[in-house]
Amino acid sequence: MLKIKVKKGHNINIAGVASSEILAPQKNTTVSLSPENFRYIKPKLLVKEGDSVKLGDPIFFDKLNPEIKWPAIASGKISKIIYGERRAIKEIIFNIDSDIENDSPNIDEKKLSNKEDVVNYLLEKNMWPFVTQRPFNKVANPSDNPKSIIVSLANTAPLSVDYNFTLASNKDSIVSALINLKKLTEGKLFVAVRPGEFKYLSDLDFIDMVEVEGPHPAGNVGVIINHISPITSKDTVWTVQGHHLPILGKLFSDGIFDPTMIINLSGPVVNNPSYFKSRIGASLESHCKGNLSTDKVRVISGDVLTGKESMMNGYLGFYHSSISVIEESFDRSFIGWLHPGGASKYSVFNAYLGGNKSPYSFTTLQNGSHRAFVPIEAWEKVFPMDIYINALARSIEANDFEEMEQLGIYECDEEDVALCSFVCPSKTDVGAIIRKGLDTVYFDK
Amino acid sequence: MNFLKKILAESGKLFQEGKPLSFAYPLWEATDTILFSTDSQNKSGPHIRDNMDIKRTMFFVVIALIPCYLFGAYNIGYLYSAAMGVSSSVMNDFIIGMTYVLPILIITFIAGAICEISFAMIRKHEINEGFLVSCALIPLTMPPDVPLWQVFMGTSFGIIIGKEIFGGVGTNVFNPALTARAFMYFAFPTKISGDKVWAVGPDGYSGATALAIPANPVEYDTASNLFAASTQFDYSLMNMFWGLIPGSIGETNKLLILLGAIFLIYCGIASWRIMVSCVLGLVFTSVLFNLLSYLTVDGILQSGGTPNAMLTITPLQHILIGSFLFGTVFMATEPVTSSHTNTGRWIYGFLIGVLTVIIRSINPAYPEGVFLAILIMNMFAPLIDYYVIQSNIKMRLNRNV
Repeated sequence: MLKIKVKKGHNINIAGVASSEILAPQKNTTVSLSPENFRYIKPKLLVKEGDSVKLGDPIFFDKLNPEIKWPAIASGKISKIIYGERRAIKEIIFNIDSDIENDSPNIDEKKLSNKEDVVNYLLEKNMWPFVTQRPFNKVANPSDNPKSIIVSLANTAPLSVDYNFTLASNKDSIVSALINLKKLTEGKLFVAVRPGEFKYLSDLDFIDMVEVEGPHPAGNVGVIINHISPITSKDTVWTVQGHHLPILGKLFSDGIFDPTMIINLSGPVVNNPSYFKSRIGASLESHCKGNLSTDKVRVISGDVLTGKESMMNGYLGFYHSSISVIEESFDRSFIGWLHPGGASKYSVFNAYLGGNKSPYSFTTLQNGSHRAFVPIEAWEKVFPMDIYINALARSIEANDFEEMEQLGIYECDEEDVALCSFVCPSKTDVGAIIRKGLDTVYFDK
Repeated sequence: MNFLKKILAESGKLFQEGKPLSFAYPLWEATDTILFSTDSQNKSGPHIRDNMDIKRTMFFVVIALIPCYLFGAYNIGYLYSAAMGVSSSVMNDFIIGMTYVLPILIITFIAGAICEISFAMIRKHEINEGFLVSCALIPLTMPPDVPLWQVFMGTSFGIIIGKEIFGGVGTNVFNPALTARAFMYFAFPTKISGDKVWAVGPDGYSGATALAIPANPVEYDTASNLFAASTQFDYSLMNMFWGLIPGSIGETNKLLILLGAIFLIYCGIASWRIMVSCVLGLVFTSVLFNLLSYLTVDGILQSGGTPNAMLTITPLQHILIGSFLFGTVFMATEPVTSSHTNTGRWIYGFLIGVLTVIIRSINPAYPEGVFLAILIMNMFAPLIDYYVIQSNIKMRLNRNV
């Protein structure tokens, strides 16, 4: 078993951690699939408003890679297709027809023996988008030969779901998913877990267990890749979200697409933060309604560091498994920079007296104005890779392709530097810089 | 408070783009955010942020400097009373000192604010609180009797040439406070050369600084003996540590500087790596020179030259003499102009220590070497970083093969 011990990082002590009970969300009849959740694709619709579809039917495909199609995430009618600027498809909203959905599905177990079989099966079932790749954090290209496959079951992000809890009853489907994922690569299949969790996986000899210890971002796929299997411009590493393993597992073993999963609703303004038995693309309102202590909130699909801001009537992103809610605050305290500290302040610097002890109620406040960057070793405190992140950011701002590649742009992703933005006293958005660099090298290729 | 908030919000409209006062927007933004913490929102990316910001970071450095100001003022008064041969209370000494320190401080801030604010308006960038630190540092490096017009010139030069022409905070090459100091050193050498003591007293009052004593000995002896023989000021190790000796306003009390260092390191603002490596570099070189001095005295290296008493200064004396500690703690650690990589910080600091001793001991024309050493290393910091980063690139390339 490989071991990764991360020292640099920080577990944000944020209030509103979900309690370990699983509730059912309020009844909601719509779910949404948004092509905007997928990078670098050109979606072309295969359906129109009002069409009836069944779970798993193709909804749209990527014009740049026509074999990749996206599945219907519910059975029922397509109630609405929302377009954005220049008729970009923003969202496809499904009306769930529970009568059709509960029909007994066709069981067609297949014998899949090699990479080609597995790829074809996933493409044929329109389930390929569950497989993503690094670099670029986009849907994988089926014709690539990945150097390795990494699945992280160690979620370290603040307020993210605890896989050890949510996936506890999915042993069979997880094993089935991993057996078939292994066929996709000639390299190794790494599964990252926290010490003492998912013990049954270590009996499986075809996977390489990685034990990660340490504060966030220790469990991020990018950090694990950087430690055990660094990538270059030529390599790709494939990955699957932990909460998608049961979905893929059922697909491989039973041939059915079951979009249900356990997600969490958490955050300082949630009255009763807890887990929900929910599904891909679920409506946020059905989880939050009546459960928030204030109206002025920002609802986030995903975690508070990397999630996407959404409207109350928005939907869970395709890859997301948590809903976070924080207060939208416009408070301006008098001479706030002189504040001595106490429970109302939180900092990774020792800059306030007696802070950080009790769970802190973060708001949307930036807590300072944007300033020119001053390198006081803030980013380095929370960035556990052997990459000079400061130099990399500079090369991106200078648009220096060669240097970006040399400094390891391929190994980074926005989520790996989210904590750098969190701690930055100049309030620089490091993630946006890294994304800009990734976009630059992606379109240059 | 709400009334004030309203006034700010209303007046702010006049400073928006396209409005008559839009050129002065940075000034309004600075006033607004000094009075009330900003209500800027996290847009994308992290939706939550740490409470630390640049205002507080810079303010903390200023806090660390305040004790140096207070002691500096007292020390000026103490030495004045001693020179006049009168006994005086601590409070009285302090007030005498303040009459020298305050004007310098005020002039520095006026000059600094004029430069920073006008550049912020012209360049349309925010007023960076970093200039407060530069302006708080400059008076501490000044002799108490420096003419105020020279302070004004020096500060303007430091802020404009040291910082603004490179694009402001974050992109400057040289430490602005040290640039100001260096400008004054070379532009007004009669006032600030550093071999005569900086103390205020009766007309014509003067004396040799600690560093000038071994630099120009009447007769060759070891530095320790020369210090002990000095009658005008007490240059014992203990007294140099407590700082009741003439010097720049802020440099003399080493205890307060060390407390400032501990405070800044604890808060995570200044780099301990730079401080430690500066001291290591200084100790390494001075020990080397001490060894060399034994050779010279024994006559091995003596042919032609006269023995140099500066070589016999012990590491501890080097640390306590002059502004080495002040420069190490508050100047060398300036984050923008020092190295940006941790390996680089070790090399950068070590070389500052080495250069300080070399400039002090080998070249007696410049008795105080710290500020020159730091400025030289400011210049080389990007080069050090370049090689550190190249090794990372090479490591990555090797991995790819």
